[in-house]
Amino acid sequence: MFLSRHLRLLPRASIARSLGSSGAHYTTAASSNAAPAEEDSPFEIPNRIERTPTDILQALAGTVGRDHTAPHYKFHDDPFLIPMSNAAKRTYAMSKESGRKAAKWIKEEHRELFLHQEAQPAVEKFAPSMVYTENSEVDESSLQQLIAQSEVKDAVLVYNLLEQKGSPISADLKQSLLELVCFHNNQEPLPEEYIEERWFIQNNRRRDRHGKTWKDGDLAEKLYAEIEPKTPQAYASLIRGMAKYLQCERAYALLQEAGEKQIQLDTNTFNSIIEIVSYLKDTAEQRWQLCTELLQEMSQQKLRPNLGTLNAVLQCISTFGNFKLARSSALQVLPEFKQLGVNPSLGTYYYLLIIFCRERGPVSHVIVDILNDIAGKEFQIEHPKDTYFFATAMDVCRNHLNDKSLAKKVDELLHTGKNYDLVGDSFKESVYYRNYLALLCQTESIEDFMLTYDLLVPNIYIPEPGIMEEILRAIEINNAVEHVPRIWSDMVVFDHTHRESLLLSVLRIMVDNKPNAELPAQQQLPEQCAKVALDMYERVEEAMKRLRKVSFTGQMLGNILTLLVRGGNFEKASEVFAHIDKNQHRIPGTPAESALHEYVEASVQEKSPSQALAALQYAVENNMESSALAKLIHEGFTLNETHLAKLKTLVGESFLDK
Amino acid sequence: MNFLKKLVPQVALAEAQLLSRSSIHTSAVCCRVQSGRYRITTKRNRPLTYEMANPPHFIGHRKSWNSWNTSTLEDGLRPSQTAIEDVFIRKFMTGTWHALVCSEVIIKRQHNTIRIAALIRQAITPRKMYFLIGYTEELLSYWMQCPVTLELQTVGDKNDVIFKYI
Repeated sequence: MFLSRHLRLLPRASIARSLGSSGAHYTTAASSNAAPAEEDSPFEIPNRIERTPTDILQALAGTVGRDHTAPHYKFHDDPFLIPMSNAAKRTYAMSKESGRKAAKWIKEEHRELFLHQEAQPAVEKFAPSMVYTENSEVDESSLQQLIAQSEVKDAVLVYNLLEQKGSPISADLKQSLLELVCFHNNQEPLPEEYIEERWFIQNNRRRDRHGKTWKDGDLAEKLYAEIEPKTPQAYASLIRGMAKYLQCERAYALLQEAGEKQIQLDTNTFNSIIEIVSYLKDTAEQRWQLCTELLQEMSQQKLRPNLGTLNAVLQCISTFGNFKLARSSALQVLPEFKQLGVNPSLGTYYYLLIIFCRERGPVSHVIVDILNDIAGKEFQIEHPKDTYFFATAMDVCRNHLNDKSLAKKVDELLHTGKNYDLVGDSFKESVYYRNYLALLCQTESIEDFMLTYDLLVPNIYIPEPGIMEEILRAIEINNAVEHVPRIWSDMVVFDHTHRESLLLSVLRIMVDNKPNAELPAQQQLPEQCAKVALDMYERVEEAMKRLRKVSFTGQMLGNILTLLVRGGNFEKASEVFAHIDKNQHRIPGTPAESALHEYVEASVQEKSPSQALAALQYAVENNMESSALAKLIHEGFTLNETHLAKLKTLVGESFLDK
Repeated sequence: MNFLKKLVPQVALAEAQLLSRSSIHTSAVCCRVQSGRYRITTKRNRPLTYEMANPPHFIGHRKSWNSWNTSTLEDGLRPSQTAIEDVFIRKFMTGTWHALVCSEVIIKRQHNTIRIAALIRQAITPRKMYFLIGYTEELLSYWMQCPVTLELQTVGDKNDVIFKYI
């Protein structure tokens, strides 16, 4: 359905092109058949193009983009099941995955029920996994299989069983087990199929950066000790494992040992050591020296540096506190690697950004050159740090340069081809959009900004309270009160109604920008604003009873009062005023005088003198300017005896004589 | 099975006739009179959904099939297994989504995928629903050994699906 619509919308030439790129040989065959008379040249059968089984699917998928009006496809397309806040997005996706885990647990627990084989050929993932115990019959082949499936725990168990039985294990197998154990630090990794857990995992940066997690004296080192004579591969895997889990000193010592024994290591091992140079040396000069030494050693061993080397060197440079040294060395490194034919990945650009665009450093426009270089290119993941680029680039656009057009360029690059796959995880994605929206609402006109807002919110990104505040500020600056009802309903949905600062700014915008009733676009506004105010009043009252997180202030209530009066809802307004009057000892602050003034004016119109006098009494009791109110009441009503007497006691006899 | 018992003498008669002389049997088929129809209650208070309110001969006109597959076409594969599996899926759905399913469970098979659609009552939180969705999809796919997708719609109240009372 979508495909056909898509095709209809395209001009003819581009249909041929788009089909030509996906299913070339069919199209060419058809078009040459259609016009045989014109061509005298003999029919040429085009060469067969090799296709993979998923090519058609990918070509079809290429015609569909992300639908901004629908939630992500992992959620169910039903109003009840569509998540409406960041917390809900996370909870729903994780609960679905937890249901998956429950099903998997059932499968493993009642394995005898799931031994049937329907699929041809059998799909391994649907069958329960093998269970290895102390008594299982194992041999080398089962160990080999487990290593291929990277089942760390089972592989180690089987290895221990084989050891106990004293059966020989080939050197190759031992090496691959060592590699597996080193790679995962002898811990079971998070299974591949749990993509949501990966997407929402909080990247614990502190643990990432500091602290060794390498298990000293564990299986990896035992395996390494068993391998005699030491092979370069054994050295390489142990060094890389230690470097990955930040056992830095010993990794470096092993590298030196290997160097002394004239053992030829590979490039990636050197890369892993270059990555941890910052843990080995303290000052920038020492780090740079060690880095160059390592690189020279590599060139002596005739090792060709690769992308990993480039990124590792840049990572080392990015830890320099000395800005000038970092800049000059980065500029030194880049052309050298270019000469070597190493193509930079997004990770490289990420490091360049954090090297050049520092908070306290001078302003650098390196991102302009980077974007000129890579605009319109499609990237694939080549290095673990590739996913950091987009969030950092947007951060630079907002905080370093505050440049709208650059941000748009970054966004365009993100939506080129399959680049969106490189956005990282949910945290990085939200950082990206946070910076993007904050930048746009500061720099763009409110109408243009609202277009982007409509596109992104709520299905792709839900603003955090901080960003909401920025948006409200932009609305306040632009006097765009007409957007407030919409933003308020979003705030209600996103559960931002417990933030006092947000409530205050919503009220302030609506009170300060009195709608002009003559403009047709704003005719509905007073009423809508009154609705928002009433909604807010009820919500806060509710929240006060339950959560006690927020409470009214006099000013807030005064603003609500004003809006209700303006919206013509006098009944509710007097209810709100009764609340103010009754709880005046509990509510900090008083309503603005203008609020009372407007309320009294409205009560004059509604011909309810007792409400007006209550307002006056409140004003007198709270030492506010009362003569203007009294005058208003005196002139507005023809008061009866009791009311007149009350007025007299409040403002004194002298006032009436004037 | 009662209707079969009633049919026995007629069938015997028909067979005897068929053997003696070839003729065409013209009376209505009894089994078509009973299945998929609901008896009217004396108080007229039995709720029916739209699907239940339409007897089988409206399939394809006013309502649609509950199982969509190609197993009963000519050269179709696994007809009996498919029927049994569909029964299993329906039982599994109504048991896992206990007291929540307000409609028939529709099972559609396309290539190697099974899509299961149903109307679900909004009686539990969305979070629990997502847990059940993940659980049902995964467990059924282990059982059928193919990808299974749930396509649920929710209704606020179970009375929303009632078409008429008989």
